[in-house]
Amino acid sequence: MPKAVRQLAGHLLRGLVMVWIVTTFTFVLVHEMPGNPVQAQYESLIEKGFSPDAASRQVAVTYGFVPHGSLWSQYGHYLSRLLHFDLGKSVSAQGVSVAKEVASAAKWTIGLVLAGVVLSFALGVVLGVVAAMRRNSRLGDGLSIAGSLLHGVPQYVMALVLVTLLTVKWPLFSTGDVNGLIQPGFNVAYIASIISHAVLPATAFALSSFGGYLLTMKSSVVSVLGDDFILAAELRGLSPGLVFRYISRNAILPLFTVLALSFGFMFGGAVFIESAFNYPGMGALLVSSIGQRDYSEMSGAFLLITVAVILANIVADLLYTVVDPRVRRASGT
Amino acid sequence: MTMTAGSGDPLVTAAVVGGGPSVQIRDLTVAYRIAGRDMAAVAGIDLELPPGSITGLVGESGSGKSTLALALLGAVQKPGRITTGSIEIDGVGDVVTLAPKAVRKARGAQIGYVFQAAQNSLNPLKTVGRQLLDLAKSHDVDDKQSLVRQAKSLLERMGLDAGRMLDAYQHELSGGMRQRVGIMFALVLNAHLLVLDEPTTALDMISQANILSIIRDVSTDRALTTLVVTHDIGVVAEVSERIAVMYGGRLVEQGPTTQVLRDPKHPYTRGLIRAIPRLHGDPALAQALPGRPPTLGTTPETGCVFRERCDVFARLQLPACVETDPRPTPIDGDRLVSCHAVASEHQQADREARA
Repeated sequence: MPKAVRQLAGHLLRGLVMVWIVTTFTFVLVHEMPGNPVQAQYESLIEKGFSPDAASRQVAVTYGFVPHGSLWSQYGHYLSRLLHFDLGKSVSAQGVSVAKEVASAAKWTIGLVLAGVVLSFALGVVLGVVAAMRRNSRLGDGLSIAGSLLHGVPQYVMALVLVTLLTVKWPLFSTGDVNGLIQPGFNVAYIASIISHAVLPATAFALSSFGGYLLTMKSSVVSVLGDDFILAAELRGLSPGLVFRYISRNAILPLFTVLALSFGFMFGGAVFIESAFNYPGMGALLVSSIGQRDYSEMSGAFLLITVAVILANIVADLLYTVVDPRVRRASGT
Repeated sequence: MTMTAGSGDPLVTAAVVGGGPSVQIRDLTVAYRIAGRDMAAVAGIDLELPPGSITGLVGESGSGKSTLALALLGAVQKPGRITTGSIEIDGVGDVVTLAPKAVRKARGAQIGYVFQAAQNSLNPLKTVGRQLLDLAKSHDVDDKQSLVRQAKSLLERMGLDAGRMLDAYQHELSGGMRQRVGIMFALVLNAHLLVLDEPTTALDMISQANILSIIRDVSTDRALTTLVVTHDIGVVAEVSERIAVMYGGRLVEQGPTTQVLRDPKHPYTRGLIRAIPRLHGDPALAQALPGRPPTLGTTPETGCVFRERCDVFARLQLPACVETDPRPTPIDGDRLVSCHAVASEHQQADREARA
């Protein structure tokens, strides 16, 4: 399938270009940050009695670029470090590499975001179909209203409400820290732990974002219901089950675009939701690194989130190609 | 049974022609419930489709012709419903009183429906072949191979590359191809009643001629009872033996096509035919019918629906036209005309002939 391979290669290339743009952006951000953290660390190291050379090396280890030298040489140094997956060292946790920190936090967040996205997508699609089919009844109206109301509630408010209700008022879940002794990975203890700790955050995700899917799915189903091919299928005597499948498969297409966009939204939302639930993911990492002005960790987390969103978009694009023959057969010809 | 086999079997044709009418519509009224009020889109229709005949149903948009066509399949779209009347279809029964599942099974199997060419009547996400298998599943067809063979022979008969068609998605087909694929879907289960809704609208002239000749050939080959719904009198003149003219939800005139077109009786039919530009002579001779057709809300509650645009009413001002809805009056044996003026003229002529 050379066409599919070519397509994948194109997607990856575009993704790489986007990653490069974002890394450049993070570099400039850290470099131009008011208070110049690079220079600040260099100076504090000098004050501690480091020789200028040693201090300079130490800073380079932390941020990925040397405090002195031209902008271009700093930039080149930074990029070459990135190519070796070296994101520098954490400032707040001295000596720990950012890559390690970010990777361990990402394991928690990716599980959470995936669970949240899948849950909200499934919930939104199913309820959206119900809302469309029963659109002239009270049930349909109620679902649509609930969808738009919940969609309007910010994720962190939803998180705080859930925390208050389910851990303080009726303590069904604990908000305690995830047991640090459990090794993240594909083992029962980790999965059980992620489930018990991720239920509430994932629910907060799902509740605050299924409304968007619900409303999109509802309007999509209503518009497909009005399409000629549905009436044509009925007039051909197709069984109700098949007609329903025709409707749902066609109606779900526009949702893939929303799905792709929502990954970015989800990672952004993780910042608020994770800190509300005391969940050791990317969001918590970002918040703590911001609190401690840990720029190297911040830019590392930022980079990983970007890569995750870009990857999610590529996957969604490929998925679209699989489900829609019009896209599949049109591309590459 | 392939089409060629069907045409070669005179017994089948004879058996179909020998029975009563293939479709008998009696006093059919379809109303749309809008703002709590029932508005009749189709009112008091009586129509027979003789077996093996092609009937053209003409009317302007909004005259209720598509509603009537959908009613034949028990598929009047909400908020519309059949309020009175019956639709007796040979081999199916009365569509109005039949259980929904039986109606569903009759669609496609006994009654084939073909959509307007410009409309997208195929699922864009599935190939024609996959949709054919969906049809088989819905109608409990066990022998899928012979169904595919049947579909292929129909497609080839219509001048298409059958293999390519079955592998194609809708967006890969031209308008004319889609229309022929639509006809294949309507006939592949051996329906004996074929309903075509604006089969040539939005096709170019060559494809139009092509589709019309296909409709004619297929109808003869398979001894189909065919109803062609169209706003184009040219199409009716081309293919149909009988014509039924609709206006404002009423059938105003029906009869053999040649007679009706040569000597239209109803003032509306006359106006309609006058409005056709001729190939020869002055194009300005074509006269548009003054006024606008009624909509659901503006249809007069009593009297003739056409009187506001009627030149005869303007001249004679018959009180009956305001008071009662004209009923179909038989004229010249095979024709029916719903017009007070024509009816009274006819009675007078009858009386004079007798005297």
